[in-house]
Amino acid sequence: MYIYNEVDQKIVDERVEQFRDQTRRFLAGELSDDQFLALRLMNGLYIQRHAPMLRVAIPYGLISSVQLRKLAHIARTYDKGYGHFTTRTNIQFNWPKLEEVPDILAELAQVQMHAIQTSGNCIRNTTTDPFAGVTPDELEDPRPWCEIIRQWSTLHPEFAYLPRKFKIAVTGSPRDRAASQVHDIGLHLVKNDAGEVGFEVLVGGGLGRTPIIGKQIRPFLAKQDLLSYLEAILRVYNLKGRRDNKYKARIKILVEAMGIDAFREEVEAEWDTIRSSELALTDAEVARVKGFFQPFEYDASAAADTTLQGQLESDEAFRVWYERNTHEHKVAGYRSVVVSLKPQLAPAGDITDLQLEVVADLAEQYSFGEARSTHEQNLVLADVKNADLYAVWQKLAEHNMARPNIGTLTDMIVCPGFDFCALANAKTLNIAEQINQAFDDMDYLYDLGDIRLNMSGCINACGHHHVGNIGILGVDKKGEDWYQITIGGSDREDASLGKVLGKSVAADDVADTLKKILEAYVEQRTDEESFLECVRRVGVDPFKEKVYAVAH
Amino acid sequence: MPLLIDRQIVNENGWLLVEEAETLPQSADLLLPLALYLECGETLKGHKGRIAVKVNGDDDLTPVLESKDLFAMIAIEFPAFRDGRGFSLARILRRAGYKGELRAVGSPARDQLGYMERCGFNAFEFADEEFSDDFLKAFGEISVRYQGSSDDPRPVYLQN
Repeated sequence: MYIYNEVDQKIVDERVEQFRDQTRRFLAGELSDDQFLALRLMNGLYIQRHAPMLRVAIPYGLISSVQLRKLAHIARTYDKGYGHFTTRTNIQFNWPKLEEVPDILAELAQVQMHAIQTSGNCIRNTTTDPFAGVTPDELEDPRPWCEIIRQWSTLHPEFAYLPRKFKIAVTGSPRDRAASQVHDIGLHLVKNDAGEVGFEVLVGGGLGRTPIIGKQIRPFLAKQDLLSYLEAILRVYNLKGRRDNKYKARIKILVEAMGIDAFREEVEAEWDTIRSSELALTDAEVARVKGFFQPFEYDASAAADTTLQGQLESDEAFRVWYERNTHEHKVAGYRSVVVSLKPQLAPAGDITDLQLEVVADLAEQYSFGEARSTHEQNLVLADVKNADLYAVWQKLAEHNMARPNIGTLTDMIVCPGFDFCALANAKTLNIAEQINQAFDDMDYLYDLGDIRLNMSGCINACGHHHVGNIGILGVDKKGEDWYQITIGGSDREDASLGKVLGKSVAADDVADTLKKILEAYVEQRTDEESFLECVRRVGVDPFKEKVYAVAH
Repeated sequence: MPLLIDRQIVNENGWLLVEEAETLPQSADLLLPLALYLECGETLKGHKGRIAVKVNGDDDLTPVLESKDLFAMIAIEFPAFRDGRGFSLARILRRAGYKGELRAVGSPARDQLGYMERCGFNAFEFADEEFSDDFLKAFGEISVRYQGSSDDPRPVYLQN
């Protein structure tokens, strides 16, 4: 992973002191609420329903054991002993004291971490495939490009007061595990006809009030042009994006209003003037950054392991976990392990201080000291030897992180909802609990196969409900929580927006409604047809009829 | 109005802001909103004082870029704390080779000064009640940076 040099360290250290002074001036009454709002947001600090919330950046989801232990320490010392992983692959703490935030940031800086640009109308954490660098289906490791974008976008003087927040995702595999098509900019490493690797560039995707799938602005961008092209897009957006209405301020609205062709014309005109400037990446710099992401020294004898097969045959629970919660690795004898943060009885994405330390220990002992966070709110130990999987599984199971539900209905993305968030209209955690109780039969879940269930407590869509195979959106109706259900969404390479099933359902009826939807699926499906494929083939009507049928 | 130029407090603001064509004085140093400047056109020829224009994010910069060498000062308006269009306007002007004074007016805030300077501003005008000497400290808070900008086009990796 990328290791800070003196410059990187100085930036985070000076940023801590800058924020310490901003906090001091705010508490002394020298900074207005509005000004401090914009400044604290650019450092990840929100004021939530109960307390401030601090969002800590995990650049492209990559984190070391040392950093995980620091997060555990922060959870224990400054919070109530837990944190929450988000769809931006960051972690948030829900109970810090405002006056202690500068100290937390100083602690983070000690382990090369920060909260810079985890909120606010600026360029946010760039995200990527949690299996980057280790998945066999990859064209090229996207992480060096994420790091290059991280450096360019960090404290960028021109793009700190954009019309609205700005999110970039990079993928290196034709299989999209980063929801790249619903980002402000999606970058796909692709090969052109000449055999060169560069980027397909999408722009104007996003969720929120107006969900839109990103549009291709350029089929192929040479690698050295990455930053000049990004800067051109950002400059056009900064100048032309709407500022009169925050709900119409994202780049997707601008692209829709101008049309992708007119938008492209403006971007490329701007790009022409800056393309040959110092923004052009040098081979030396790309090589320097790539040097931090070289493959580990894998054990050549790992593939000769014979113990795994026996363990899979003799231990049914282990086999089930292996099938659901591990992912193939490009090196023979290794697997990537998904650490499930979707237990039966706790909120999706939550993790305790002890669990953070357990993952840190496992990473150190079995996975080269690194872990990743996923946009589905789980963690990944990317490089585990086959021979070590059993031990890793046992330890994860002991600490409630081995529920074999990855990719199933209960591997839900869930925003914190009304219980924590000041923006939310409805609760989500109680609904997730209801679903967990109603769908506790794992054999039934396995029979249903891969289903992405995403839930948001309001229209801002932090839970990505529009692109869930099943989406649940909490709405407030005269003081009561109701839930609108969509089906047929996808955040993968076949991205699509879900269609509304019908009128919203009462809080108590959500799990029962899901049961009916899934009954309809079981009735309708052909052999091997996934839920999403089935919805796409038969449409919404059979599901609607099942759910809203009048009882006879 | 307190004014900083090149990180120094300056007491004399020699510019006369004129908002209507009828009141155009013959010899003063004039600061004209871009629309008024374009409206005046010929009548400014032979004007004895210096000319500056004031632009904002709604303006088309093309006529300013075309005549940039005529202006001793260009003022860029920041109508609200969160309106960041002026940062891009400044970069475009500097990129085009504008060498004169680039002044942030409206409501530049202390915590934006570092970024503004990096984008090419060298002057900042504040409301009386907003300014304090402490603002001078704002420029040095972050002493290193990754990306190039108007201050130095080179990213950090090309600097050594």
